[in-house]
Amino acid sequence: MTDKTDGKRPWVFIQGQQAFQFDPQQHDSLLEAMEAHKVAVHYECRSGYCGACRTTTLDGEVEYQHQPIAFIRKGEILPCCCTPTRDITLVRD
Amino acid sequence: MKYTTFSREQNDALKEPMFFGNPVNVSRYDQQKYPIFEQLIEKQLSFFWRPEEVDVSKDRIDYQALPAHEQHIFISNLKYQTLLDSIQGRSPNVALLPLVSIPELETWIETWAFSETIHSRSYTHIIRNIVKDPSTIFDDIVLNEEILKRAEDISRYYDDLIDATRQYQEYGEGQHSLANGETIDISLRSLKRKLYMCLMSVNVLEAIRFYVSFACSFAFAERELMEGNAKIIRLIARDEALHLTSTQHMLNIMASGEDDPEMAEIAIECHAEATELFRFAAEQEKQWARYLFKDGSMIGLNETILCQYVEYITNVRMQAVGLPKAFETSENPIPWINTWLSSDSVQVAPQEVEVSSYLVGQIDNSVDVDDLSEFTL
Ligand code: FES
Ligand SMILES: [Fe+2]
Ligand SMILES: [Fe+2]
Repeated sequence: MTDKTDGKRPWVFIQGQQAFQFDPQQHDSLLEAMEAHKVAVHYECRSGYCGACRTTTLDGEVEYQHQPIAFIRKGEILPCCCTPTRDITLVRD
Repeated sequence: MKYTTFSREQNDALKEPMFFGNPVNVSRYDQQKYPIFEQLIEKQLSFFWRPEEVDVSKDRIDYQALPAHEQHIFISNLKYQTLLDSIQGRSPNVALLPLVSIPELETWIETWAFSETIHSRSYTHIIRNIVKDPSTIFDDIVLNEEILKRAEDISRYYDDLIDATRQYQEYGEGQHSLANGETIDISLRSLKRKLYMCLMSVNVLEAIRFYVSFACSFAFAERELMEGNAKIIRLIARDEALHLTSTQHMLNIMASGEDDPEMAEIAIECHAEATELFRFAAEQEKQWARYLFKDGSMIGLNETILCQYVEYITNVRMQAVGLPKAFETSENPIPWINTWLSSDSVQVAPQEVEVSSYLVGQIDNSVDVDDLSEFTL
């Protein structure tokens, strides 16, 4: 299969609303993109080990540059160290 | 399960539970039941730092120029942190090592406790620099009412577990009449319950108890005061985030039942008690904020803001271990603290760093929660 991000900018949905398109050329992580699009998100370490940015997803898929060590459950992601590989829906806990 | 420093049992460590299985024999890391603990060890080692690398000499001048009520805030927090790390430098080893059954977790516990001893040594480094006689500060830690109240609530869970483990190893399960006429009832299940609550209490300690103090240290440094101290606190905060993650993993593995089905039952049984533990600790920390500011607030921080921050952070930490939020607060009232808690800009050779200049740049770039009205997560 080809890389899903090839020439593509996945959409990020928040609470069912279409929020923004993630541009891997511009942002290294989903957290950076969320900040640039004025989406409030908790963070502390920004490196995948504290868990403060833990966010629930309804659907979608992300990929981690490095395996994070913070605890996450199924369906949760750490925006500080991942990028979406296809359209993704984030929800409030 | 009698403790031995080298069990002759030819067991498969991959099949042992995290705790209460066979004592660990061979320290091997080529195979791991829970690779996360090996990853935590590697991360903690990569975080290694020495207090002496941080130049705190300018802090002495800053400290002398602080008004008395701010000196009180600064010193009281140092005392409280000294207490917390005194406990953390020894207790994980004493309480948890006799019970652990997998090598990667055993070594994580030792690595964790070792990093706490660095924190303790850093307080001596800071204190020695700002006062002539460090004893005036250290001696008060076992006298100060406000600190003692907290010491009791923090060490109790460890002490209970240590005592119960000793009895369990001495007498084994069942009812026993002791020489002094007392009858004791020992069960593995109640020991497991004590372990679960002890880990929850450590989680609370590292999740909230440090943060009032962290916030004050960073608030001083935002004014370009006590920056050597802030540099050290920042390194400590980075370690603490890792420690917190480790107990979150342990607690969540326990609650899942995958490791020991009985632990999952215990997690459910302890739900209310754990919730109350968080809420109580948060209240205690709010009282601590009150004590700190009794003679006056500091620029950038006051009791109300600090209490809101305690509530905010308590909620975040509770959710991480599957507990419901204890407070209404959902916004971080001091978003600038995150810049200090993020590891992007923590340098390993701190003496080379002009703390204030590069931090000010960072803070200007940081996102203000108030701006973020469009969407909220
Ligand atoms: S901010 Fe620490 S894990 Fe994402
Ligand atoms: Fe510590
Ligand atoms: Fe710690």
